[in-house]
Amino acid sequence: MDLDGAVFLDAFPRLVVAAGSNLKIAMISILFALIGGTALTLLRTVRWKPLSRVIGIVIGFIRGTPILVQIFLFYYGLPVLHIDLAPITAGICAIAFNSTIFITEIMRAGLAGMDPGPIEAAIALGLRKRVIWTHVVLPQLYIRILPPLVNEMTVIVKATTLLSVITVVEVLRTAQQIGNTAFRPLEPILAAAAVLFIVNFTISRGGRLIESRLANRRG
Amino acid sequence: MAFDVTVITDNWALFARGAAVTLLVASTSVVIAFALAVPLALMALSRRRLLRWSAAIYLESFRNLPFIVVLYIFFYGLPMLQWQLPETAIGIIALSCFASSYLSEIVRGAILSVPAGQMEAARAVGMSYVRGMWEIVAPQTLKFLIPPCTNTGISMLKETSVLSAITVGEITYQGLIVQGRTFAPFEVFLTTALLYWLMTSAFAALMGRAERSNGTSRSAGQTRRSLADQFLKIEV
Amino acid sequence: MSDTLLQVSGVSKCFGKARVLDNVDFSVARGEVVCVIGPSGCGKSTLLRCINYLIEPDAGTIRVNGAYVGREPDMSGRMRRQKASALDRVRPRVGFVFQQFHLWPHLKVIDNITRGPIKVRRVVRAKAEADALRLLERFGLTEKAHTYPSELSGGQKQRVAIARALAMEPDLVLFDEPTSALDPEIVSQVLLLMRELATSGMTMVVGTHEIGFARQVADRVVFIDGGRIVEQGPPDELIERPKHERLRLFLRSIDSRGEAASASR
Repeated sequence: MDLDGAVFLDAFPRLVVAAGSNLKIAMISILFALIGGTALTLLRTVRWKPLSRVIGIVIGFIRGTPILVQIFLFYYGLPVLHIDLAPITAGICAIAFNSTIFITEIMRAGLAGMDPGPIEAAIALGLRKRVIWTHVVLPQLYIRILPPLVNEMTVIVKATTLLSVITVVEVLRTAQQIGNTAFRPLEPILAAAAVLFIVNFTISRGGRLIESRLANRRG
Repeated sequence: MAFDVTVITDNWALFARGAAVTLLVASTSVVIAFALAVPLALMALSRRRLLRWSAAIYLESFRNLPFIVVLYIFFYGLPMLQWQLPETAIGIIALSCFASSYLSEIVRGAILSVPAGQMEAARAVGMSYVRGMWEIVAPQTLKFLIPPCTNTGISMLKETSVLSAITVGEITYQGLIVQGRTFAPFEVFLTTALLYWLMTSAFAALMGRAERSNGTSRSAGQTRRSLADQFLKIEV
Repeated sequence: MSDTLLQVSGVSKCFGKARVLDNVDFSVARGEVVCVIGPSGCGKSTLLRCINYLIEPDAGTIRVNGAYVGREPDMSGRMRRQKASALDRVRPRVGFVFQQFHLWPHLKVIDNITRGPIKVRRVVRAKAEADALRLLERFGLTEKAHTYPSELSGGQKQRVAIARALAMEPDLVLFDEPTSALDPEIVSQVLLLMRELATSGMTMVVGTHEIGFARQVADRVVFIDGGRIVEQGPPDELIERPKHERLRLFLRSIDSRGEAASASR
């Protein structure tokens, strides 16, 4: 196997810049997903059968279908509804929506395992529902679900590479472009893999660090 | 905007072929991935540092990369090793290796969940490490394997859609072809999605039955009602 | 020499900084019943596990009926670790009964007993099952042959565990606090069986808190404290006229428990 080391190394500068796009997309997505996920979780505590059923179907759909197909639905489908978005925007919508669903499921699991004691105390003290959510439940919940959230972040970063299929310029697509012009497809992709490896590795180790710092605040 | 069913009925053959390829790829990959995962798990549990580190390198490499990148590496890399294989085969190999890294962690966890005394008793009676693993530890890992392996199986099924990028004729690829012909994205991709949804649901139901017949006691959830339930209990 | 069934020489073991066994020498003659007593953490359990090499001692040799366990001398006389296959061949000579029984939950009682003989000693299934049934009959558990361990009481489980160890036809049997995990009323069931085993001539090393048992059944009692053998001798002597202060203190602490227990027996 003859690998061209020069192509491999030369690709890095452009790829690191392109990876910035992946990170940007990921950050925006997880921001929306956290907000959306929290809102959806709060919505799910409302006990109204029809609503629960609809939400259940949407969750089942998102969890049971590949994210690539969801991306295609947003990318090809929205223009038919006369919503013309740039590929990157459509991609962010798809990933953010997907993540919203997974985060609400993570939150559901986190809530189910929480100690009801502090909450009962808050109710006994006469605190209002909204206050209990914002001061007792959610803070504890976020600390609790930090590990699966960090994992979800790495999932999102990995998902951003799928956007190469809908013409978004990010690290994988850039690697393919370099490969096409140099007639050596493998080396740039290996370089992209190295960049992505470092990014994801850093995220998961960073997450573990934060987790251990917060360990004494867990309920 | 009406839902044009003819888009689906006219092209049902393509969808059917896609479904067949997806099932073929997914099932083959699951088997190979599991076959790779068991030795990897044993390596990760080994007392020999070399084995542990080799396993760790393999696992970390795959777990920090997106599958599409892994797929391209195999797609461009295998021919360079003089392996000329059809895309479907490359796809299966890539998916198997990728999935084996996740499966091996599950297998390792399951082995560790079997109480250490079981192996001790086996060694005490004179069984070798291999014999003890085979007769005593492995059968007891089943109940710890089924739930997480179900999730991995579903993930693998969904991941097969990425193989469309290297033109493997599975469901998503066929969907893209139909889309190219008919420009009816909702009909096409909703059908595509529904096909996956059907498969993953069927698989989950199957594994659910296997879990029950294996005697896993679904812990009867705490029926103790508390005031805090209005916050903590979300209807599934 | 051929009367010495078990020879333990210079066995030491550290876990991290803690020295759990310190240069232990001890031997057991054929047919002898030795009870090892001592406070928790004194090294009883570790010593027993070193004998059949479930734990690897840092130093020392173990010989069962002349055969080396775990470490054997090579051609130049230096001690080298045995190959796994050699160790697997020696282990069946030493039966081991665990405090937590460790029966295999996915196998029926009869399979628990026969699995070892069939797979390790290559006994034909029919013969192994016949032998197993005979053991079960001797222990009064025939009707439980085709049940699963989860359906048995603690005392029944331990008796099956003893049967499993005996099915391998060992030269000697080690017991690691066999009754500590049992309810007090059931303890006597198992002790009775062990006593019967002793009278039938089996060589036994029993790590235990049951001083009454030691008194009645043991030929020799060994007191271990801090990883060393502090005192050993015939049970009456050791228990009635302990020479070392630590042994005296230990027996006194047991006494308050022991008297209540032996009264109910």
